Amino acid sequence: MIEIRGLTKSFGETRVLRGVDLQVDDGEVLALIGRSGCGKTTLLRCINFLEDYDAGEILLDGQPLWYRSGGGGQRHRVSDAEARRLRQQMGVVFQQYNLFPHMTALENVCLGPRHSQRVSAAEAEELGRRLLARVGLADKVAAYPAQLSGGQQQRVAIARALAMRPKVLLLDEITSALDPELVGEVEDVIRSLLPERIMMILVTHAIGFAREIAHRIAYVADGTIAEIGSPAQLLEQPRDPTLKDFLRRMR
Amino acid sequence: MNTPTLTLLLQAAGVSLLLALAAIAAGTVAAALLTALAFSRLRPLRFFYRLYVYVVRGTPLLVLALLIFYALPALDLRAGPYLAGVLVLTVYVAALFAEVFRGGVLAIPRPQWESAKSLGVPPGPLLRKIVGPLVLRYALPPYVNVCVMTVKATSVLSIISVWELTLASREIIERTLAVFTVLSVAGVLYFIMCLGIDRIGRRLERRLALRGFAGERV
Repeated sequence: MIEIRGLTKSFGETRVLRGVDLQVDDGEVLALIGRSGCGKTTLLRCINFLEDYDAGEILLDGQPLWYRSGGGGQRHRVSDAEARRLRQQMGVVFQQYNLFPHMTALENVCLGPRHSQRVSAAEAEELGRRLLARVGLADKVAAYPAQLSGGQQQRVAIARALAMRPKVLLLDEITSALDPELVGEVEDVIRSLLPERIMMILVTHAIGFAREIAHRIAYVADGTIAEIGSPAQLLEQPRDPTLKDFLRRMR
Repeated sequence: MNTPTLTLLLQAAGVSLLLALAAIAAGTVAAALLTALAFSRLRPLRFFYRLYVYVVRGTPLLVLALLIFYALPALDLRAGPYLAGVLVLTVYVAALFAEVFRGGVLAIPRPQWESAKSLGVPPGPLLRKIVGPLVLRYALPPYVNVCVMTVKATSVLSIISVWELTLASREIIERTLAVFTVLSVAGVLYFIMCLGIDRIGRRLERRLALRGFAGERV
């Protein structure tokens, strides 16, 4: 379970997050939607501490992430080693795939288990091959990222995130950079994960996909969760006027 | 030009090449350490890096050579001209290599760092598996460039009585007065050495090319 309490974050003068409260349960799929610049991607990045944040708490299964409170209301970052350990409980998939260009698909997938979790080489390779087969790329283990299509690269990236056996998958607009005909193959991979009931938080502009797979959708506006609810509730009976407007434009 | 003269020049060229290779090897190691300082969290270390690069890069090699050659005895360090020569070149190319490596690190796209971060890759493997290999690829062409310069820079060491191709040439000229012949042969020998290094660099570049990218064969 992930709990976020009072998360705030500014880039200079711009307040990107203004007190986000959010709870995501184990096995839940939560979609974050909202206008570009509303803070949804920043929120996702804060969860993995790819961005630091100014105030608030993020807890994973009750353990506070990224900052520890010291005496006198002070807080301090966790050590680098601790941050690495905490990050291993999460898998991140980025919009631009971000595979390591000098490594094969298999090496990309094995890197985390092999070097962060210190799994034996043989075990990491076995896991890597299994995961690549799972995302339909059994025949591409030896391919380099530049030899793969965008959709294939993104599937490798999903396998790479899964290789950490994460408690939560953080998906940041993972189909936004893809040619339309490649979106389906990536969405299929995500669909195939649903029976495993792994927690997922996805930032997306694909409202239809969010409606289909998410248990809840959160509408982010002005750095807060303006509205949250089941897809049916939120998409069919939106209360927030800006959400109504947003949904009309997305159609 | 008679055979003994040519043999002498070839020997001297061999010395030049050895000096260059020694400086390239030592300079590469020193530069790698310097580059680490450039990205240190500690400000004094970053400052030291900049100071080193500015001072060394801003000093003519000739002045640096004389400075080190005369400074060593003053510091009670006894080093022959060859050791001093390698030291001079090492100090010099370390600054140039360090900037090349720093450029390579800066060329790594931010998303690559974030990927590694999100996977929780510890510093050791991060350096060995990701940063090192990527820097090697980005920095190889300018690195080879500095290597070629190093070969030519060995000629400066003649000023501190290192017997290498340039000093040998001048000695032969003093005896034979065959200025143009000797200097032409020396020039050709420098050119061949530089070409050799360039060819090795190209081969390495091809081997390390990121597969599947355009421009794989340049």
